[in-house]
Amino acid sequence: MDNHKVIDGQFATKRVSQEGQEQEWIAQAKQGSQQAFFHLYEKHHKKIYALCWRMLADKDSAEDVCQEVFVVLWQKISNFRGESKFSTWLHSVATNVVLGHLRKQKNWLQRVFSIEDQGAGQESLQEASVELTDNSTLDELDKHISQLPERARLVFVLFAIEGYRHEEIAKMLKMAVGSSKSQYHRARTLLREWLSESDMVMGEITDES
Amino acid sequence: MSHNKEKLSVVLPLKVSEEVLSGRVANLSSEMKPERDLWSGIEHAINQKIQQPVNNQTKSNVVPVAWAASFIAAVLISWLTFSPQMQQKSQQELSASITEKPEATEQLVTFMQQNFQQQKKAMLVSFGQPNLTQLPQAMQQELAQLAAARKSIRQALLKDNNNVDLLNLLDFTQQQELKLLTQLYRQYQVI
Repeated sequence: MDNHKVIDGQFATKRVSQEGQEQEWIAQAKQGSQQAFFHLYEKHHKKIYALCWRMLADKDSAEDVCQEVFVVLWQKISNFRGESKFSTWLHSVATNVVLGHLRKQKNWLQRVFSIEDQGAGQESLQEASVELTDNSTLDELDKHISQLPERARLVFVLFAIEGYRHEEIAKMLKMAVGSSKSQYHRARTLLREWLSESDMVMGEITDES
Repeated sequence: MSHNKEKLSVVLPLKVSEEVLSGRVANLSSEMKPERDLWSGIEHAINQKIQQPVNNQTKSNVVPVAWAASFIAAVLISWLTFSPQMQQKSQQELSASITEKPEATEQLVTFMQQNFQQQKKAMLVSFGQPNLTQLPQAMQQELAQLAAARKSIRQALLKDNNNVDLLNLLDFTQQQELKLLTQLYRQYQVI
């Protein structure tokens, strides 16, 4: 019991010192220290990359947008006032950058291909599921998330993984709150269906002919 | 009556419940490792952002010159195309007048080319001098095709120096290249 208290105390001390260290890096990065900013990158980039990958379902785009997130972070870090946790604030910056990227990409595609039927064009973009470059090392569920239609995928990632509320998601994705909820339901139904198919089990039946 | 009892192996789907799905979502890793090194690109972009105030000074000098040059080129082309004096002249007279002074067309083409290069340079400076060789192959090819088209039109103009349509086409091709660069920058602005 006493040993547990000592171990818990050590973890708490370590966590406090890590948070203190992070605050120091943030303060130094605000002053223009690239070294401190690199430490922040080292600490957070894998989480931000995961967010980008899950929202974009494409490795190359996720890498590019993850870079963009940290460039934007460098420009905006002085806006961080410490009112929320740094990681929470960083994730909201990242989410905005990813959504901005998706909007720009759609505008670009529409301009290049001069899509006459805007409605049909948007639908096809939203519904397109993206093939991954290499998904061999991914979790089974992540592979299925990447195959979800775009809107359902975005809502699912933002709600189930990032912890946003439907009201916030609806605002971010410019949709009704009800649509956000129905897209989330659609995503869950598809995921359960696909997981059921991939979680097949071998059974035996007796043929009495 | 005898029955042949045979055991068959079959694949049975397991229905994944809401609870199972929630459990698997909760167990998803919060981290993924990118395949390539991202820091070098970020560092490069950050350093360029730091240098931008210096570049902005250059830009502020170059941009007005480029705009002025662009305006003059537009006026010249409009004058060549729509001026009443020019329209009054018959095609033969126009051909004759330009044929008499082929150096005038040559000067105009050179001026348009310089003006375009200035605009392009100003644009790239304002974009923080992006490395165009890092663009996707298809985009690089598109830019190369536009540059090749510009070159061909310019050469055709020097041979057929009374062709106003070619002059317009050259202007159009230059504008398309600038538009494409702007669009590419918006799309790939991190590089």
